[in-house]
Amino acid sequence: MSRKRGPRPVNLRLRRLLVMLPWLAERGTVSTREMAEHFGMSVPDLISDLTLASLCGVSPYPLDLIDLWVDEDAVHFGISKYFDKPLRLTPPEAFSLVVSVRAAAAIEGDDSPLARAAAKIAAVLGDEAVEGVVVEVEAPDGLDDLRIAAEESAELELQYWSPSTGEVAARTVAPIEVFAEGEHWYLRARDLVADGERTYRIDRIESWRATGRTVEIVAGERRPWFEGSEDAVPVTLLVDTDWLWALEKYPLVSVADAGAGRHRVTLLSASERWLDRLLVRLGARAKIESPVGLAERRASAASRVLGLYERT
Amino acid sequence: MPPRVYPDHVVHQLERVTNLLTLLLTTRQHLSFEDVRHALRGQYPDNLAAARAAFERDKSILREEGVPIDQVVLGGDRAGATGYRIIRSEYEVQDFGLEPDEALALRVAVGAIRMGTSWSQEALWKVDLESHLYADGVLGVELPTDERLPVVHGAIAESRSLSFRYHDKDRVLFPYGLLARQGWWYLVGHDTGADQLRTYRIDRIQGAVTVGETGAFERPEAFDVRTAFPADPKLLPDSVDVGSDVAEVRIDPRDLATVIRDHGEECVVRTDSDGWVVVNVPCSNVRAFMVWLFGFLERAEVVGPPALRDMVVDWLRESVRGGKS
Repeated sequence: MSRKRGPRPVNLRLRRLLVMLPWLAERGTVSTREMAEHFGMSVPDLISDLTLASLCGVSPYPLDLIDLWVDEDAVHFGISKYFDKPLRLTPPEAFSLVVSVRAAAAIEGDDSPLARAAAKIAAVLGDEAVEGVVVEVEAPDGLDDLRIAAEESAELELQYWSPSTGEVAARTVAPIEVFAEGEHWYLRARDLVADGERTYRIDRIESWRATGRTVEIVAGERRPWFEGSEDAVPVTLLVDTDWLWALEKYPLVSVADAGAGRHRVTLLSASERWLDRLLVRLGARAKIESPVGLAERRASAASRVLGLYERT
Repeated sequence: MPPRVYPDHVVHQLERVTNLLTLLLTTRQHLSFEDVRHALRGQYPDNLAAARAAFERDKSILREEGVPIDQVVLGGDRAGATGYRIIRSEYEVQDFGLEPDEALALRVAVGAIRMGTSWSQEALWKVDLESHLYADGVLGVELPTDERLPVVHGAIAESRSLSFRYHDKDRVLFPYGLLARQGWWYLVGHDTGADQLRTYRIDRIQGAVTVGETGAFERPEAFDVRTAFPADPKLLPDSVDVGSDVAEVRIDPRDLATVIRDHGEECVVRTDSDGWVVVNVPCSNVRAFMVWLFGFLERAEVVGPPALRDMVVDWLRESVRGGKS
């Protein structure tokens, strides 16, 4: 590996050591590769930190040092002298643990091992700590079937209503995962005809069926909205500052104060219809700065809608 | 590949901080800076001021990582000096006593709920020492994060008041609950200045949040953060009165499925001869209603109430007129 990076900060190395040492004490001997994988670090970093830990203790006398040694492929732990248990949870850790159980419980319901885990967490952290957090994630009908299809790598045929065309069309896809973000649930999948990754809003899937074939695909990390999409066009708008709220739901590339009560906002437009919607919603509170060719877009979109009202 | 090389002082500090931690964790009595310096001799600089500064840095690393350092003013022959120790029971994570199936469920939950931080993974390592790698599942929930959320959460758990700035005004709040709804985190509580229940969006809080003493208030028993405000923004009343809370809207049949999904079959009033369908949709909040309406562009038309139809027409005319930039 030739990837260059700076030294890892002391606090992160310490944080990791304080969970690794009790973990190691429970196990005795572990392969360095397995341990590095478990804690999401490289083997050289792991060996470097453990070697350093083996030199630590209340005094430099061997009897006082943390009792561990690293050989070619494995870490061996002797007697635990200092760190029998991990450090208590920090506020961010306690918070995120509560959020995880509350969100997952909203999907799974109360009668599950997860609900029992939540009760035990409440017993330790306090009822208010758990009950004071509510995560609303309403799973749509049929979500579980889609999730199972993704787990089983089943090839699917979707009847999908596309917001960019306003039409329903068939798509053949290999599902990767289902996820919730903001108000909606989505299916991330590989479109087998277009041969590209696409994200489908689940409430816009009119119907779907498994074709009976399975497709194994290697999916990477999910990318941010529209990134890398060949259809995405960066559009810069000048928006009245007191109307920025109307853009809260849109993925913005940049926002900057443009003076005179306006902000300059750049976003990626996925399609012309998508952009028209945004422009009519903002009305005279925003105008397109670039691309210049789209400057009259709002007027034409608004007059198309106005046509409904001005029929005689 | 050559071995990794770290600058000397970085290695040294981690070693020294770890040594300091073992020392404070095992001592039976509070130790002064001089005691620490003696016990860890050779590790702090010879120069007293430099040694003191290094000791302060070490302590602050430990505190930032959440290590509770107990601090007292010493008496006797060390009178006036500050003494430090770490009480093991306060240092160690509590035993959650999770059964294997509960721990597995927790692992799956942590894998599915994504906040863009490593907080929950770090938490899992602490509460579940038996844990092995959880596989990334095919189900995920993305939630926004904010560094002020853990502070707010801690205040809710311990009934502490919160002080912060919002809409350019200083607020003092008794926080009752946090709600993640439609991609935002909301804080609901009793605003002591307004003497009312108020809702704040976490990401709009200006600057830091500070907490007061524990036990500052009691949350009302009947309080439910979910009912603190309506889910549909079109139901949130605003100051615009169009004479009705319900709008009649004609919808292109191609978009009817979307409307029924949001408002149920019961919103359908009739089907016109041209195939378009008339539906009833709430419009208590006119601004939210118009955002919704224009999502359909030329496939949705407001029929009534007349005042609302006029507002829509005015809006569109203004958009056309101001359209050339």
